[in-house]
Amino acid sequence: MDEKAKRTRELLASFYSTDPSAGGGAGVGSAASPRKMASPDSINSPSFDPDVYMSLLVQKLNLEGLLQKHVEMAAEIKNLDTDLQMLVYENYNKFINATDTIKRMKNNIVGMEANMEQLLAKITSVQSKSDLVNTSLFEKREHIEKLHRTRNLLRKVQFIYDLPTRLAKCIKAEAYADAVRFFIGSKPIFEAYGDSSFQDCKRASEEAIDLVIKNLQAKIYSDSEPIEARAEAVVLLKQLNFPVDSLKTKLLEKLEDYLMTLQDEHKETGASALDTLETSEPSDIGKLSDTILSLKTPTGTHMVSVGEVSKIIRAYLIIFPDSERRLIELIQELFTKRYGIIERRVKERMTSADILKMIRVIWEDVTLMDEVLAEAALPAFSLEAARSIIRQFISTSFSHLLLEVSEALTKSQPMPKKGSEESSLQNALEDSKKVVIQGSLDLLSEFRQLLDDNLELLAKLRDLIVDWVQEGFQGFFQKLDERFLALCGRGYIANPDPSVIDAIQVDKVQTGLVLVLAQLSVFIEQIAIPKIMEEIAASFSGGGARGYEHGPAFVPGEICRIFRSAGERFLLLYINMKTQKISILLKKRFTTPNWIKHKEPREVHMFVDLLLQELEAVGIEVRQILPQGLVRRHRHSDSTGSTNSSRSNPTREDKLTRTNTQRVRSQFLESHLAKLFEQKMEIFTKVQYTQESVISTIIKFCLKSLQEFVRLQTFNRSGFQQIQLDIEFLKNPLKEFVDDDAAIDFLLKEVIGAAHERCLDPIPLEAPILDKLISTKISKSREENQSSSLA
Amino acid sequence: MRGASTGIVYGGLKYQARCIADVKADTDHTSFLAGTLSLKEENEVHLIRLSPPGSELVCEGLFYHPNEIWDLKSCPFNPRIFSTVFTFGETYGASVWQIPELNGQSNAPQLEQLVSLNEHTFKIKCVLWWPSGKYDKLISIDEGNLFLWSIDASNKMAKVISQESVGMLHNLSGGAWDPHDRNAVAGICDSSLEFWDLRTMKKTSSIEQAHARDVEYNPKKQHLLVTAEDVSGIRLWDLRRPKFPVKELPGHAHWTWVIRHNPEYNELILSAGTDSTVNLWLAHPPGADDSISESPVDSPKRPKDSLLNSYTDYEDSVYGLAWSTREPSVFASLSYDGRVVVESVKSYIRK
Repeated sequence: MDEKAKRTRELLASFYSTDPSAGGGAGVGSAASPRKMASPDSINSPSFDPDVYMSLLVQKLNLEGLLQKHVEMAAEIKNLDTDLQMLVYENYNKFINATDTIKRMKNNIVGMEANMEQLLAKITSVQSKSDLVNTSLFEKREHIEKLHRTRNLLRKVQFIYDLPTRLAKCIKAEAYADAVRFFIGSKPIFEAYGDSSFQDCKRASEEAIDLVIKNLQAKIYSDSEPIEARAEAVVLLKQLNFPVDSLKTKLLEKLEDYLMTLQDEHKETGASALDTLETSEPSDIGKLSDTILSLKTPTGTHMVSVGEVSKIIRAYLIIFPDSERRLIELIQELFTKRYGIIERRVKERMTSADILKMIRVIWEDVTLMDEVLAEAALPAFSLEAARSIIRQFISTSFSHLLLEVSEALTKSQPMPKKGSEESSLQNALEDSKKVVIQGSLDLLSEFRQLLDDNLELLAKLRDLIVDWVQEGFQGFFQKLDERFLALCGRGYIANPDPSVIDAIQVDKVQTGLVLVLAQLSVFIEQIAIPKIMEEIAASFSGGGARGYEHGPAFVPGEICRIFRSAGERFLLLYINMKTQKISILLKKRFTTPNWIKHKEPREVHMFVDLLLQELEAVGIEVRQILPQGLVRRHRHSDSTGSTNSSRSNPTREDKLTRTNTQRVRSQFLESHLAKLFEQKMEIFTKVQYTQESVISTIIKFCLKSLQEFVRLQTFNRSGFQQIQLDIEFLKNPLKEFVDDDAAIDFLLKEVIGAAHERCLDPIPLEAPILDKLISTKISKSREENQSSSLA
Repeated sequence: MRGASTGIVYGGLKYQARCIADVKADTDHTSFLAGTLSLKEENEVHLIRLSPPGSELVCEGLFYHPNEIWDLKSCPFNPRIFSTVFTFGETYGASVWQIPELNGQSNAPQLEQLVSLNEHTFKIKCVLWWPSGKYDKLISIDEGNLFLWSIDASNKMAKVISQESVGMLHNLSGGAWDPHDRNAVAGICDSSLEFWDLRTMKKTSSIEQAHARDVEYNPKKQHLLVTAEDVSGIRLWDLRRPKFPVKELPGHAHWTWVIRHNPEYNELILSAGTDSTVNLWLAHPPGADDSISESPVDSPKRPKDSLLNSYTDYEDSVYGLAWSTREPSVFASLSYDGRVVVESVKSYIRK
């Protein structure tokens, strides 16, 4: 059906116009346009060529197809014919209708002309009448108009005459706006006739207006007036051509003065807070909190004043829109000074709560100001200021901690009495441990306060703070290591520039301190760093403002490595210092006497007492600081003081005597051989952080030194016997110190062996004499002990 | 003996020994002189030569020496001359000896004593030859004095040119002669290093707080020297700023006894100690690079100063150490039990 309608339309279109695309409307046009380009087989295109179409059909279709096409075409032609006939009939009908209508119109028009003429005559008569009325009323109308003008003029004159009183009334009612309006309204008249007819009037009103101006000025200056009124006053003054700029500058100066007093106030409060801080003892926490409180109260009052300032500024902005620049300058100056005060205070030790409080107070002011004066860019400015303040705060906190640690270490340095010496090292260690761990954790919690604070300003600095804290710890521990070195008089290792090295001399360094440092380094490496690392990971992760390629600023692995090596170094240094001390003792012992002319030994030489004293001192120091080793020394606890049990090892004694009688050459070979078969004694083992390890290392070193000193001398028989006696005596007391019997025995034997080698006539003391001399010595030292303990 | 020992061992010394010296003037062979230290037996000086393929140590000569030898130095310009310091009981002395012509026989001919330095009133510590060439002067150091000798070898004459006493409070124990300056000598005092100008025989400067056992000047760079100390290990000094050491090396587990620069590669330092080891260190002298300014924090990252190798194959303390001047990659060490070990450090020398 659709197709049929379309076809009809198309046919109609082709009927009424030759060009189907032009006449057919939009629908037909769009349908027709593709047909234009249609291939030759489309029968409806205008470029239809029957011959081509025919040949195409013949080519394309077989006979059956052609037949079918023929039938189709015949039907189509028939349809087209009927359509055409229908159209012709319809058109004919329409034509007949049109002819009928035209006939009817012709009949109606006749008779209209007479009516028209009648109408024209009536209109002409109306016009003549109206002209008549107009001329008769003209004169009267003129008169009325004149009278009206005069009245208006008279009213104006009246107004002018009334102006002074009116103005006075306005002034009384404080309706300055009206007054100014009236005055300005009458101004042209005054300008024109002021010199002649309205002279008095002009003077009077000018006086009134002067009064108005004065009042307005007063209004502007008075702070109690509402801003709108003041702003209005300025506008009015401006209308009166009053020089407003001078007013403005005056007002700004006033504001400036006001701000100055405000600043002074701040300074005073800051200074007074500082004073109280200085005067109060750092430990006096109560006082400190008082200071903080007192800090708060002035801030309370100045809150009001800053609010006022902001109000004033708001007013001024409204009053003088062009004064912004100056105001910005003023405000920025104000805040610079206030941040300056904080910055100065940060150099002192203060808590982050204080800092936060101060920053918060300022920030509140800043937001207050920012509402009024957004162009001053106060938030950005504050961000910058807070950044530097917090950075400074973090770095000063760390340097304070560093100072505290070294104080804790050196505080107990001067040892007042023998009795307190026992615990002073331990105290120093415990104190410094506490300071390191507690100080670091405190710092972290302080810094966390900074992070946890919801102040907008600090939230922006979060990443930076995290980085600074991490950097701070890294730097802190590196500095701590350097500080430790400097405390040991080894500052030049860390810092080769001699000008900065502390004047601590190596020989003035307390050995105990070195030991404390060793143990403290271990503590830092094993406990403090992991704990701090945890804390940092918990609340100071992220950051990354310095870029990920650098990694985190705090590298615990590196710090651990530094302190591990530092601990080892200090432990070795301690051992070295101690052995050196003993070494000097031994050196004196061996270089002073003439060993070749030595007299027969009568008693154990006193250097063993000194040696044992030194070792005892080492023991005291070591026991305070270092933990006990795992091996307990139970083996000797019951054999204290008995000399016979350990000395009388008959086989060794026999061997020694036997070799003595033999020729030296064979003795040399024998000892050589003996060494070959003996297990090589590992004397120089790695030192551990235990009491036993350190003491035994020191003793081993001393015995080795003893052997070396012996080797440098030449002895006669008595000299050799003296050495033999001293060594024999040392055997037991040394074993009291050390667990490693074998090593001590070995080393003592080495010493005697060395003396034996270096002796011209090596005949040892008889065992009974040896025993007797040793027991004499023991009883003597016992007596001394008793007498000293009694006294 | 034990383990993977790379050294060539010479076991010819029958007694304990402390001294070994490189025969500097022998340009044809790599040879060393070693002297024994036996209280009761007749002591010997061995001339030891490294056989040309470098695989064996041969005793080229064996000479009896009247007393036990505490110091032995070879003459830097005549391979047949050397000096010894010796004691017997309370007697002591120092002599310059000449090795007699070896006519194929090595069975202990007598050494020819050229001169005897017998002006000493204290126990003599060491004799120094000027290390850099032919110079007819000698320095001898005893516990209290410093002597400068003029030696006339042909006439067997020795004459004291000048003498300086350090006073009773100090105790000299050794010294070194500056190879860059004939007039500068360093002496080891109790707790300091003292420096003298030989022309005036006056002290020029000193390094305090140095308990040195041995000292040696850097053979290539002036003003630099190295000390071996009981406690502080090895320390490198610059004489122009003697307040603090330029560098510290840990040294040995016990005393560091002797220290020697490699004659050719002065950053190679050899030390021997009473912990029966010989350590080879790489320590760049300051000024060669800017490594001094670096903090020790960085030191693990910089492989510059380090222990290159530790030779532990010794039975006793090592007191004698000598680089070969002829073959700078070779050194000889002598432990107290009389064993000479020659090692090559070729693999550690920077190409």
